[in-house]
Amino acid sequence: MTTFTPAADSTDTVPADTASRCPLLLLLGSGLAWLLVSGVFALINALQLDSASFLAGCRLLTYGHIHALAETTFVYGWLGNAGLALSIWILGRLGGEALRATPWMSAGGLFWNLGVLIGVIGIAAGDATSYPLLQLPRYAQPLLLVSYGAVAISGVLAWTGRRRRVMYAAQWYAVAPLFFFPWLFSVAQVLLLWSPVRGTLQAVVQGWYAQGLWTLWAAPLALAGAYYVLPRANGKTLPAYDLAWLGFWALLFVGGWTGGRHLIGGPVPAWIPTVAIVAATLLLSHYLIVFLNLRGVFAGGSLAVRFIGFGLGAYFLGGIFDAITAMRVVAVATEFTYCDEAMRQLAYYGAASMILYGVLYFALPRVSGRPWASAALARGHFALAAIGLALLVFSLAMAGVIQGRELNDAQVSFASIAAHTHPWLLLATAAQALLLLGNLLLAVNFTTSACSSCCSATSREALAS
Amino acid sequence: MKNGPLFFLGLVSAVGLSWAGIVVGTHGQLGRLTSYYDNGESQAYPAGLPGLAAQGQDVYRSLGCASCHTEQVRRPDFGSDQARGWGDRQSVARDYIGQSPVQLGESRIGPDLANLGARKPSPPSADELMALLYSGKGAMPAYRFLFHTHRIYGQASAKALLPMNAAMRPAPGYEILPTERAELLVAYLQSLNQSYEYPEARPAPAAKAGQAKEAAK
Repeated sequence: MTTFTPAADSTDTVPADTASRCPLLLLLGSGLAWLLVSGVFALINALQLDSASFLAGCRLLTYGHIHALAETTFVYGWLGNAGLALSIWILGRLGGEALRATPWMSAGGLFWNLGVLIGVIGIAAGDATSYPLLQLPRYAQPLLLVSYGAVAISGVLAWTGRRRRVMYAAQWYAVAPLFFFPWLFSVAQVLLLWSPVRGTLQAVVQGWYAQGLWTLWAAPLALAGAYYVLPRANGKTLPAYDLAWLGFWALLFVGGWTGGRHLIGGPVPAWIPTVAIVAATLLLSHYLIVFLNLRGVFAGGSLAVRFIGFGLGAYFLGGIFDAITAMRVVAVATEFTYCDEAMRQLAYYGAASMILYGVLYFALPRVSGRPWASAALARGHFALAAIGLALLVFSLAMAGVIQGRELNDAQVSFASIAAHTHPWLLLATAAQALLLLGNLLLAVNFTTSACSSCCSATSREALAS
Repeated sequence: MKNGPLFFLGLVSAVGLSWAGIVVGTHGQLGRLTSYYDNGESQAYPAGLPGLAAQGQDVYRSLGCASCHTEQVRRPDFGSDQARGWGDRQSVARDYIGQSPVQLGESRIGPDLANLGARKPSPPSADELMALLYSGKGAMPAYRFLFHTHRIYGQASAKALLPMNAAMRPAPGYEILPTERAELLVAYLQSLNQSYEYPEARPAPAAKAGQAKEAAK
């Protein structure tokens, strides 16, 4: 039986980390900045749902613009930066060599953030593409594609140049998204923006891209972290590790087919949602295997493990809900409602982002060579994030259930649907405020920790000279 | 797993298969879809968007209307789309071949708009749509920046908004005029019409559909 030995890098800092410190901190820091920006947008958006007149007079800040901005800054700004940085760091650690091509990583990181910034300005100016999860204006996208490639080179080199030929599960999950994102992104760009396909085929391509962005990019980025951190944090081997490859390939081969569940009843060939229903059910095998491998996380442990535990819980819950709401009898009540939003938040925020927080808490001391500045801020962040997310997903789901039930009753007017969902949407707004506050604590903690490590490095150099 | 190239091949085929199946597969099915020529009416459907409406579609995209409104009617026995008067038949792929970008939408905070220009008993007039955009209604915000208030010099403009509610009464001597974007958007909204019954859009009873297949053979 293959066992997983966490001894590969038990030392807390290997020399590999000092060389890559700057680019990694650049990516992580800018990711956190976008996370805060996204939190502000999400809060504004929630307030707009509570009161339609909020900022309605501003042409840059319509509900549609803010919705696209919150989503774009979260996915491309926060998950893109932090997910890439952490997966490359993991690949470097497991590869056993110092990261190579770090100048490419820095340059790529700068241009990636420039691309996101151009996209944000473009969306506010009204240039969003209208495709969910691909709202970045056409002119911002090629830059993002190229700069992603520049950053990813480091990770790919760390993978091809690994000392140990056999790969760990964390390496599979970390390498895959490095390749997948450029493929998905370029195909979607060409087929939707540069040479658009005709008619509802656009919706099919968008659905395929959006699902790929989750199952082939965001989810593996997060799982790489979970598979890497857990055995190191609690010092135990992963149970049922010889099944892990099956879970990995199930996610890759089946996951990409589940996107059509958002098109149930829509003007597309009926086999697309049907295939998605089957795939969403088959994908439960992936969740089961990941649960078997990583169930140790629920025993608790350090703060990083608790974050990852919360994230994995959300991940499993999301997978089960995906399979349930893919069924046509359920979809008729959840489609086009806040339930969709609840599930997206559960996946991207509850699962991917919470796991990445955990990996970040584990990784930063090893990247910067200094412990976190404040344990209290970190604990505060966990409390706010956990409560905020539970509240957000629950209240959106409740609003969605009410909305779905009343939409299906033709006698209920839109005004009464709005009135009946209002209390839950207020709760969702409070949840967004908690999340923003939590992320603020993280940002303060990160900045002080990263600065102190930089200052100490400079002072050491000054002493040495 | 230790074979790098084989692993890479696995990655390529994972994306490639879903792409080939979903994107290429649908393209094979829908890619050659053309408009339908009705011999009786001597006209092709869907009729292309008139010039103003086509520009209005871009305003609809630019404002992000699709984040609250869908443009797809589901079949009569699925949800309350028909009962709410959004359309007597389901939307089919052919309805969208002239649109770009296709904005099916994924949230119904507001009503579906796929058939707004064919609402029964009568579709909303341009004045009503302007009033809705100017003052908002319920959960829909007011888009005041699509309008400007002018002092009336000489004769009042023919385009001035009819005061449909208290919020729309400008000071004496002033009038509210729609910007070009507002006019384009309203032209687009009025053009939304999926009422033509294509052969594939006619709801067929289950038993008869089986017989039709037999007959086609």
